[in-house]
Amino acid sequence: MIFGYLDAGSGSLILQAILGGAAGMLVAFKAWKARITGKQAVMDTAAESDEHVIAEP
Amino acid sequence: MLRLLDERGARAWESVSKTRFFDRETQSGRLIRAEPLAEVPDGASAALEHPRVPFISYPWEWTFSMLKDAALLHLDLLARSLAEGITIKDATPFNIQFIEGKPIFIDIGSFEEYRRGEPWIGYRQFTRQFLFPLLLRAWVGVPFQPWLRGDMDGPTAAEMRRLLPLGKRLRPAALLHITLQARMEERLSGTAVRRRLGAAGFDAQLILANVDRLHRLIEGVDWDPDVSGWSEYRSYGHVGRDREDKAEFLEAALERHGPERVLDLGANDAYFSDIARQRGALAIAVDGDETVLDSVYRSGSAVSLVLTDLTDPSPAQGWAGAERPGLVERARPDLVIAYGLLHHLIYSSSVPPGAVVDWLASFQCPAVVEFVGPDDEMVGTLTANKLQSELHPGRDAASFKDLISQRFEVIAERSLQSGTRVLWQIRPRR
Repeated sequence: MIFGYLDAGSGSLILQAILGGAAGMLVAFKAWKARITGKQAVMDTAAESDEHVIAEP
Repeated sequence: MLRLLDERGARAWESVSKTRFFDRETQSGRLIRAEPLAEVPDGASAALEHPRVPFISYPWEWTFSMLKDAALLHLDLLARSLAEGITIKDATPFNIQFIEGKPIFIDIGSFEEYRRGEPWIGYRQFTRQFLFPLLLRAWVGVPFQPWLRGDMDGPTAAEMRRLLPLGKRLRPAALLHITLQARMEERLSGTAVRRRLGAAGFDAQLILANVDRLHRLIEGVDWDPDVSGWSEYRSYGHVGRDREDKAEFLEAALERHGPERVLDLGANDAYFSDIARQRGALAIAVDGDETVLDSVYRSGSAVSLVLTDLTDPSPAQGWAGAERPGLVERARPDLVIAYGLLHHLIYSSSVPPGAVVDWLASFQCPAVVEFVGPDDEMVGTLTANKLQSELHPGRDAASFKDLISQRFEVIAERSLQSGTRVLWQIRPRR
């Protein structure tokens, strides 16, 4: 508890996309498909970087 | 209270402190104030000064409405921070405390910049530590506090799925947050999906939609408490009759000792705690009845509330058995109120009178106590099914006063109108 970084849970992460509504379903499907095909995510490097999004409306 | 930040934390603070939501929420009192220190201690990249939280309580000591308000506060802050490119990296009620009866988010270090494509890392934790405990009470009819005290991570989705009654399983929220989450956790355990979600187009709007859905769900979740044994306590004849005498007796003790922290044990509707609070003390009202304390909380009381059984108060627990100190260590009172309590310990819980006195002495501060003699009507009710041989010796007024006098000096005494009850103001012998 005191160490701060969580195990977010793989299933719970994919579920969140579904909980985001119709747009999220598509995201969940793509992520799910990538898992099955084993295709590497094209944005792996972006996700790993410190790129930040400010002011999403 | 100082918070030292490493380089990463200092970068996050730099971003958070520039947002509009940070100003707005600290001013409204929903987020703790933080002032950067000009001189940073060696080894840290930044240091923040926070006002001290006068009393820390834990979710297993909160009532249903307290946990519900804490959950809604967390979701509100997450939505508002995301709108300005900031996220909250965890989702635990330990980040929230109650000051003067209102929830406040105290962990500035939980805020960090939102990275494009990142899902809400705290979602699973939010469900386990906020949503499922609330549903446990509202949908299953089981109090969440013993569960959280036994397992502070909260129930898993799989455990909730097994607990849900048939009639609740088909609700959309149950299907999504519980059944589907449990299935997907089983199926995908250990799979790397975090980056794939980013690549598939995950963005903050999806988190906001989920947060909005959870907010509406939790707002609509209610617990309808039954009338408990103690919620009607005020209507008992002796309570109304003696209340003013007991208040006056307490006022005299407050005047004499000028305590800063008052611990009201067996506080019921927190009437006496509130007298101490109005006199400028931090008042901590402890009671084992959730119905009563929840109603005190909902009335807007500024007293600090603790739901716990006094024969088994919250122990020290967590990492190394020290992460979350026990109730007594956190309370550190300089005056104890024990009105209408001791006879319940002695007769209902069968605690020997000498052990009750030792326990009062363990607080090492003055106290006002109400002693209820064996002839009292309430004691008759409490002992209706007990044989004389099953009752402890030393429970009559004279014997109990002897026990008290071994550890305390009696500095004031008042008999109540019933003739079977007496108040003592006592202070430890040096």
